Amino acid sequence: MALLSKKDANLILDPLADNNPITIQVLGICSALAITAELKASIVMSISVIFVMGIGNVVISLLRNVIPSKIRIIVQLIVVATLVIVVDQVLKAYAYDLSKTLSVFVGLIITNCIIMGRFEAFALGNGVWRSFLDGIGNALGYGVILIIVGFFRELLGSGTLFGIPVLGDPIAKTGLYSIGYENNGFMIIPPAALIVVGVIIWVQRSRNRALIEEA
Amino acid sequence: MNTEKNSYTVIFSIVMVMVVGSVLAFLASALRPRIDENERFEKQQNILYAMGINENTPDSGVNFIPTDVVEGEFGKYIKEQYVLVNGEMVADDQAFLVDMKKQLSSLKDGGEARLPIFIGEKEGKKSYILPMHGKGLWDAIWGFMAVDENMVIQGVYFDHKAETAGLGANIKMRFFMDDFQGESLLNGGSYEGVVVSKTNNDPLNQDKEDNAVDAIAGATITGNGVSAMIKETLKVYRPYLDNIRTN
Amino acid sequence: MLEHVELFFKSIFIDNMVFAVFLGMCSYLAVSKKVSTAVGLGAAVIFVLGVTVPLNWLLDQYLLRDGALAWLGPEYADYNLGFLSFILFIATIATMVQLVEIVVEKFSPALYNSLGIFLPLIAVNCAILGGSLFMQAREIPSLGLALNYGISSGIGWFLAILAIAAIREKIRYSNVPAPLRGLGITFIITGLMGIGFQSFGGMLTGDNEPPETPAATTAETTDKKEIKEEIEKDEKAISYNDAINE
Repeated sequence: MALLSKKDANLILDPLADNNPITIQVLGICSALAITAELKASIVMSISVIFVMGIGNVVISLLRNVIPSKIRIIVQLIVVATLVIVVDQVLKAYAYDLSKTLSVFVGLIITNCIIMGRFEAFALGNGVWRSFLDGIGNALGYGVILIIVGFFRELLGSGTLFGIPVLGDPIAKTGLYSIGYENNGFMIIPPAALIVVGVIIWVQRSRNRALIEEA
Repeated sequence: MNTEKNSYTVIFSIVMVMVVGSVLAFLASALRPRIDENERFEKQQNILYAMGINENTPDSGVNFIPTDVVEGEFGKYIKEQYVLVNGEMVADDQAFLVDMKKQLSSLKDGGEARLPIFIGEKEGKKSYILPMHGKGLWDAIWGFMAVDENMVIQGVYFDHKAETAGLGANIKMRFFMDDFQGESLLNGGSYEGVVVSKTNNDPLNQDKEDNAVDAIAGATITGNGVSAMIKETLKVYRPYLDNIRTN
Repeated sequence: MLEHVELFFKSIFIDNMVFAVFLGMCSYLAVSKKVSTAVGLGAAVIFVLGVTVPLNWLLDQYLLRDGALAWLGPEYADYNLGFLSFILFIATIATMVQLVEIVVEKFSPALYNSLGIFLPLIAVNCAILGGSLFMQAREIPSLGLALNYGISSGIGWFLAILAIAAIREKIRYSNVPAPLRGLGITFIITGLMGIGFQSFGGMLTGDNEPPETPAATTAETTDKKEIKEEIEKDEKAISYNDAINE
């Protein structure tokens, strides 16, 4: 990354692993549970969050010296909500099919605490370029977890990826199903996402023991 | 600049409200015509989809006819549009724009309702297309149902506002909607509807007389919403349906 | 009266904010290390939900929903400001939270010390906005029911965080694999509790076959009143009956 200094590059790379918003900072959990039953939905959500966080962090960073601290939470929430509504309306007018896929996520993006969390923790105190990188980095870290969870839940729960059967046909008993494999219906209910995230945390902290919490 | 003063806070909030308010209001009014047009095309596509005018191939997903031809096709296949007011049929070529949700809630309050009906004709066979509206798990679900004069379903289209992706959202997938084709709405003499059932032991959907289709695993409430929506549609349109059957 | 009781228990157990719809997870996971702090946050959530849901109900009823502006005069009846609901709801919530923070700080420093630090956390707790959005989507019919819904959803969230905090205090004495300690095991326990809570859904949705409706003979035409009653009956059966089982 010749473009970025080492410090700047870390803003993007840290959230991907050792400072992941979901598994370490505990931000943005609700949406990680709600929409990861399918890989496609996970990817759409990740892209929307990357977009909203990148722009949102820039806007908050630009405004950071003029926002009165008493009402900063309101201002932050309104910036996110406005951004999301603007995107939603523009898509409805110019890319209607895409907007139908996205409209389900509008509420989830506004209430996604990862966005507020980074506004508060980073953008309010840092310059525009660094805030932008921080936004993109955290959104990517969030997206990585979403996609891993979505991959396992769709594969184990429905036997498909992107809606395409990959393990054979469960009704006609072909492929893996012919030797007695069954889809695990538990994987598609939301509590299963919690368990998958728990296992991801387990794997991550086994590999990097510095992250283990003191009990 | 002292950003902690009360007067500054008040001024800041007023300016913010004005900026945000005008941006949103401007967007909403500037984009309204385009959004309305998109919504109109979508409704026409959905109605045609329910009566079997679509670009599906046996293994494809849901493919509507393209938006640039939908208006012409709609005029070609939909022969008549009516609204049912107090049991009277009134011809209305804008019937497809009627908001079903408003009509149903007005009916519930004991008021008047304008219930749209579309009569389509495909390869010489007439179908009667009824709009539906109901509630899923999170928010509204709606759709269209095309029936013939024997109350056999020719096709359906379902859509939803915010059902869970991968679960309830699958009501708009072909594997679910296709199951309704050929199902009879009648059981003996009564309007039984079609229920989304977990217990019908017919996953391949071969029994078309059982008034049931196979449910989507994990989407109980959305499925129940679909069953209830079909029942309610049959209820409000019953006088009209009786009429088609006796003719 | 009966509908109040029904809504109350439904919101606490069947539609539990944490275990059934998975809202407000971030503060639930982050602030559940000790029972005493969990109680503070839980109480604050009950309070804020109890205030904002009825307030947003009024906004929805008289400002936002399709035709809501009819009280201004017939020429306003066609406006639909629904696209503003997100922003107005969230503004109400953030305003309320900061108002409460200022008032509590001024008049009861003791309470502020125990509760105050949680208040900013609450504004970003999606259970709060979720409460208002569910209230709107499920078309809760009256202000009283909206108040009931807000408070009982809050109690459900309170119970959830209390339970997990108690478990986490105990689990410290157990031999959990080191990488799972803390957050990891909390995720997994919450998942198992969620699966457990799904069984409450069976209280109202265990029987998925809709009740038999009286066979209607085709010869007689139904008059409008009868249709209306039947619809009402059905609506009642599904409205905010949407026990989460997905």
